[in-house]
Amino acid sequence: GGPGRPREPAGRSGGALTLPLRSPQAQPAFVPRRGATGERWEAAEAAAVPVLLPSAGCWIPSPAPEDILYRSSLCRKLRAGKSGATLDFAKQLGHFFVDHPEDAFGSLGRLLHKNFYLGNAKLKVTVSRNSTIRMTALVEDIDRLEARRGCPRQHLASRLRWFSHLCRDWLFEVPLGLLADCLHEELAQQWSNLLFDDSLTGGALAWLPSEDRETPVGRLVHPGGQAMNHLYFQDVVLEELPHARGPPAQFELSERIRQVAAARVDGQDFVGVRSDYHCGVWRVPGKTRAVPIPLQVIRTDVPASCLTVSPHLPGELSVCTQSGTVYLWSVETGLQQLRHDPQTMFFRDHSPWRWSDFTAHPRVLSCADRTGLQCLDARAPKRCHFDLFKVGEEAGCQQGERVVLPMYLGRAHPSQYLVTTQFSMYVLDERLPLVPVLKWAHMMKAPPLFAHLMPGKPGRSHKVLLGASRTQELLLLQYRDSFWGVSSGGSQSACQLVGTPQKLHSITGCLQHLPTQLPHRHHLLQQRLSASAAGLAATLQEDGPRKSMLIFQLSEAGDVFCQRLIHKAAQPPAPPSRDEATTAPRSSPLFEAPASSPHGLGTAALRYRRWLRALSRAWREPPWHTWPPSLSQRRLFTHRDLEGPAGPSSLQKQVRQRLRQTMQEGGRIQRWEPLALQPPPLPQTLELAGGPDPLSNRLTAAWAGDWDQWWEDRTSFSVAQRQRALRERRRRQKRAQGRRSLSASFTSSLTYQSELSELSDVGPSLLSPGRPPVLSQEGSPPAGSPPVRSHPPSPAPDEALLSSQSLRCRGIPKERRKTLRDYLSVWAEGPPEPPELPGSQASQLCFPSSQSQLSSASQPRRKRPRMGF
Amino acid sequence: SSNELKLNFKKSKEACLSYIQDALLQKQWKRAAEFLTCYVESLEKDYSREHIGPSEMIWRIGTEILWHHSQNRMKEFSCFMEQMKTLGVKRYLKVCLEHVFHLLCNGQIDEAYQNLSLAESWRFGEQTAIQDKEIKLIQAYRGLLDYCSWSKQKKILLEHGEDGFADLAVEQEMHGYFRKAAVNLKEIIKIPGVWDVFVKCYVDLLEFYGEHNEARQVLNEYAYNSKFPANPNAHVYLYQFLKRQGESKKSLISALKILHDIVPSHELMIDFNTMLQKSKKRKKRQLGLEVIFAALDYAGWKENAKAWSCLARQVKQIVISEKHLDWIKQEWNSRKDWWPDFHFSRYLAKRNWQENKSLSYEKALVAGILLGKDCKYFKYVSHQGCKARLKRFRILKKFVTRHNPVYLRISG
Repeated sequence: GGPGRPREPAGRSGGALTLPLRSPQAQPAFVPRRGATGERWEAAEAAAVPVLLPSAGCWIPSPAPEDILYRSSLCRKLRAGKSGATLDFAKQLGHFFVDHPEDAFGSLGRLLHKNFYLGNAKLKVTVSRNSTIRMTALVEDIDRLEARRGCPRQHLASRLRWFSHLCRDWLFEVPLGLLADCLHEELAQQWSNLLFDDSLTGGALAWLPSEDRETPVGRLVHPGGQAMNHLYFQDVVLEELPHARGPPAQFELSERIRQVAAARVDGQDFVGVRSDYHCGVWRVPGKTRAVPIPLQVIRTDVPASCLTVSPHLPGELSVCTQSGTVYLWSVETGLQQLRHDPQTMFFRDHSPWRWSDFTAHPRVLSCADRTGLQCLDARAPKRCHFDLFKVGEEAGCQQGERVVLPMYLGRAHPSQYLVTTQFSMYVLDERLPLVPVLKWAHMMKAPPLFAHLMPGKPGRSHKVLLGASRTQELLLLQYRDSFWGVSSGGSQSACQLVGTPQKLHSITGCLQHLPTQLPHRHHLLQQRLSASAAGLAATLQEDGPRKSMLIFQLSEAGDVFCQRLIHKAAQPPAPPSRDEATTAPRSSPLFEAPASSPHGLGTAALRYRRWLRALSRAWREPPWHTWPPSLSQRRLFTHRDLEGPAGPSSLQKQVRQRLRQTMQEGGRIQRWEPLALQPPPLPQTLELAGGPDPLSNRLTAAWAGDWDQWWEDRTSFSVAQRQRALRERRRRQKRAQGRRSLSASFTSSLTYQSELSELSDVGPSLLSPGRPPVLSQEGSPPAGSPPVRSHPPSPAPDEALLSSQSLRCRGIPKERRKTLRDYLSVWAEGPPEPPELPGSQASQLCFPSSQSQLSSASQPRRKRPRMGF
Repeated sequence: SSNELKLNFKKSKEACLSYIQDALLQKQWKRAAEFLTCYVESLEKDYSREHIGPSEMIWRIGTEILWHHSQNRMKEFSCFMEQMKTLGVKRYLKVCLEHVFHLLCNGQIDEAYQNLSLAESWRFGEQTAIQDKEIKLIQAYRGLLDYCSWSKQKKILLEHGEDGFADLAVEQEMHGYFRKAAVNLKEIIKIPGVWDVFVKCYVDLLEFYGEHNEARQVLNEYAYNSKFPANPNAHVYLYQFLKRQGESKKSLISALKILHDIVPSHELMIDFNTMLQKSKKRKKRQLGLEVIFAALDYAGWKENAKAWSCLARQVKQIVISEKHLDWIKQEWNSRKDWWPDFHFSRYLAKRNWQENKSLSYEKALVAGILLGKDCKYFKYVSHQGCKARLKRFRILKKFVTRHNPVYLRISG
């Protein structure tokens, strides 16, 4: 449909579209079904803001289409034009065999393993030859087959056929046919869930407002945890942005929570929780900080598809299962089956989804399937029922239209009902069944699975929120029942949609406002934020003349986001000023300091910052043990190393400017010459400034393009150097012999690291943990110390002795002393100090490369200034 | 290939549509209009076999944008509508109707009438026959406008008539309107549907000219024809007509009885109950009790003091006369498992006492009789009433205590 339907063109019984207001004296006034002006609600923030910090456990995203669909070009060609998807059944079955070999072939595998030869060599002619087969050949055949996949002329290799023919029946632990059936069923189920997951209908988020209106407090009921099987009751304070107060009351359930429904009866909230095979009910006393009390749990054999809580009687709920059974569940008297009918009501539809809700009469329940709604009297369910809504001509339905979510609108009008389909939303009056009193085509991209009603006071419009799951869409509608007096002869009135439906922020929408992330972070964040929506709740808050609306949205990842809408008092229809503001790409008012805020950044931005930090902590934690040990970069270089040149030189500026200009023109730079006359000078200037620094030397050479030459020079140069270094080392070894034990276990990752990075020109990330610690001379490094490194004797023995003693006196453990010393020396040395590579250290190590001695050779051993030692 | 081209075209069309939608839902009319001009291209290759084709989309979206953005510049709107009419002959009359509605809502009754007449005379081969429904509606609306003119003339006539100065010309003109309106209105209400406005106007016309039988027939048909959707309003109109005609109690009751069967929670049930209570017949009085009990089942009636006082009065009568306690017992049987929680909880006692003392008085009386003097609701309210030294609450307490055995008989 289109939103462009100020008034619904009539069907057979659409009735009057424009209704004259009849009063005896005045001219009849015509009122449109859609009033032009409704209340104006404007978003307070540019995006939805997280309410709670993300939970610690990692979140496993639900499967994506590419996980289960068969993808190949041939397939796509065949499918072009046709709808329907091909499930990659073979791949999944393959995964199963690989992931669970024990379950797949356990016992026979063990029996037969002698008869399968897995090596590459040819089988020797022995006795075993007759009873052993070579598997590699088979694997090769399979690979070949895989490579020819999609080839129209493919035929099975005879060997494979022979093998599968032989062992299809007995090799598998579970009979293959059965296994395949189960897997296929599961796959089809997963796929249909991906297309449309109706188990989330109703949403798993509830807001329980507090009884007393003094304090703006309420309680958010939401699922959480890795498997979404924890139920939380979180007190939330509604200030400028809602924030949690105190720890939540928490219940661990045995299954994933699909739906949380709540209703208030007699000042107490009753919260129903539905998971696939269990439903439970909690009672939350109206007082703030009262503890929620679990009342009862029921178990179903077939997955439950609906749970609603009665707004009339305490402890009454209605439950539907996918087998087509509807129960009235009372905590006191138990379950009463109202209907059992696996068939759909009005015409045949395959969906097992059922729904049920309460009506104006506490004993009359509505029950729904995809084809429509009926009302049943619980006192005589077989006899007393009537049709409330039917997908068909009366409501002017489209072909293929199906009921998605019915909801009782009792808090707005006792006899009204909301029915949403994938195309439209209808408001029905149970006194005038079948013919909707309001219809509007919502044009949402995904069917609205969640709805929330906020009743307006008499004379004001009621607000309905519709939410979709997969696309996270959120719409705000306003309608008014009885827009002309009901008192005029007790006539029923149609409803009027007021104002234009309004789109609200989705959770993903905030992504563009967040600070730029590293690409993989961005991807993770995107995945997290675009998880399907799983629930919707809202509350109206009136603070004197200021009215605002708070809307909470839950995502499948367990995040709860919130946005505030502010009511703008009736103004002359202002020119659409929002037009431009909202369209500006990547505008991020969220992170700009609002003028009014005293903290510089808005509270929303701060909230985001905290949330992001918690999220990145959660990401980092779980794979901790799997990460390669990382080393701080800070200690690899002296800070002079890290210090760049003071600013871009004029040449750099020139080059940059040229580059920019060329990019703007869309041209390309073929030669740098005209501007940058000699490219090598650039590093050379650096070299001049930085002194004889091997790294700069090498980079300069590389820049100039004669890196080979440099290498040659270096190696030949180093032969002589090495000899010298070796000689010196021997000399020093002799000298140091007596004192080695003192500092034997001091480790210096410094030397090794910086040297190596010099060699490999790659950062420390290259240092895989698998690499053996370099040639420790003194046995293994002390346990608990960072992985590595042999120890060299201290460069200045006397000082070292002194300092290690003094360090010991201060109670600094042995292992740390050297580190500390190095650290201090680095900082004490001040800027004009060559990289800290005492020759004595370097020469002690037998480096895999020949150039390690370079620095030692080029610099005479010298004392390092040490602060206070 | 052409297939691919089609696919791409479709994709970009969809993308464009979703941009428009986005803009519309954020009230960015100007932006939506810009996208719409791009979308117009989709008319060129209209391969779609969807429910709503591009031309219909353009019509609907365009209407929406103009409705909100052009600040009632009717000229622009009419111009757009004319274009839309020529864009799709299949929808010609629908667009006409839409246009007329727009004019009506802006108070341009005469233009609307002109447009309706034009649309009515539209002929386009087969299309005219296909759009039969729309033609009927157009005629009906023309009838409605004729009725409006008629009632305007009537007003003039009545005002002048008081001066003893009847204008023949006005009367004739008025009669002309009547005939035109009656013909068209009569047609539309033959088709099954919800035609409340048209029926009311038609009946008004008929009544003015004294054709009561015809009016009665129309209303009966509208209320009782099973082809029409069950419409409580139809019964209400019939009841009101009968009342105006001064019909007998019996026929009024039978009309309301049917309304009670369809919608037990209708506002008229209080009138019905009062009517039945006054009746001499026992059966009727029993029905009265049934009616008021049934009405109070509904959530919408929970705090209706009038209804509670009706029930209280009747229950009190029965208890005092001690005659038909079985009536109460019968009604109470199907309700005793849920009414206490639904109506007579302690929470409600508190709230009713705070908000509406007379409601709590009536309810306490009913609760005391149905549930005995120990019931929470009665206890709370009578206690509060005595504390506040309200005389009638003391009398109430005495009454209930005296008749406490009744409770045992009812619930037994």
